[in-house]
Amino acid sequence: MSWPVTELDAIRRLRVLGAAVPGAVVAETTIDAPFEQVWAVAADLENELPRYLRDVRSLHITRTDGQRLEAYTRGYVGLRARFDIVLRPGWCVMRSRFLLGAMAAVPDSDRTRFAFLAGVHVPAQRIAAPALAAIGRRAAPRALANFTERVRLTQA
Amino acid sequence: MDDRELAGLVVAAQRGDGLAMAELLDALAPAVGRWCGPIALQDAPDAAQEALIAVFRGLKGLRDPAALFGWARAITVREAVRVARRAARERPAELADLPAPDDPMLAVDVRDVLERLTPEHRAILMLRDLEGFDERSVADALGTPVGTVKSRLSRARDNFRKGWGR
Repeated sequence: MSWPVTELDAIRRLRVLGAAVPGAVVAETTIDAPFEQVWAVAADLENELPRYLRDVRSLHITRTDGQRLEAYTRGYVGLRARFDIVLRPGWCVMRSRFLLGAMAAVPDSDRTRFAFLAGVHVPAQRIAAPALAAIGRRAAPRALANFTERVRLTQA
Repeated sequence: MDDRELAGLVVAAQRGDGLAMAELLDALAPAVGRWCGPIALQDAPDAAQEALIAVFRGLKGLRDPAALFGWARAITVREAVRVARRAARERPAELADLPAPDDPMLAVDVRDVLERLTPEHRAILMLRDLEGFDERSVADALGTPVGTVKSRLSRARDNFRKGWGR
């Protein structure tokens, strides 16, 4: 007897994560490019992330262990942050002491559904959630637009 | 992942660690998909998403990390029934009742059989036949008295056989 089973795709998982983290915001879009091309941009964190997250000047990966990475970022005002990262095809989660970021991608015929999550860790997170969400509501769509533009440029 | 690693993830996720939440999501998603599939059928992806949101929103209330899967299963069954009932109101369908575990139709097309049941009966069937629960455990998982589960099973089997016999 074969029971019906359902799989939660990466976009749905990102929505769950967005709902679980107080103040996190998820922005979604469909990119007019195949999954492989979209994920090639997403997975190239060192070269591409500073191009679509404009607050990040550089990202250097310092350790790789299967899906797990460690990276250091430097911002334009000189702030450094250490990130623990899980990266696999269609799924990337990055966590520093204060920030949580994630990306998810799912093939949709010859296009790709893509989503960003932006979140902040602070004390009294639930109380601060409305303010954090306001920050994320600005940051996530902007990152999504920049990311889509990077994919378009790699197509050209 | 062993029990100790899982318990560590639960504690970290309860503290708000987003990376731990993501890893816990990886650990829970296959089981939630297995529980939601038979109950919510075509609405199972929505049910699984809503169940996991409920699980993570309630995670701080989980006192014993070792109880994670049983606790998540109870939430998932409740959410899957709720989502399936909501969808059924939008798509009214003919309803029948539960088959016996050895009913030959189950071996032929379980999905066809499940589509003839109410979401509550699909939940009982999944817990009893897929998870291997006895009637008391089914009743505990659904928050229903044992007598109700027994009478539903008995009545359901009769109705189901009549339905297939027509």
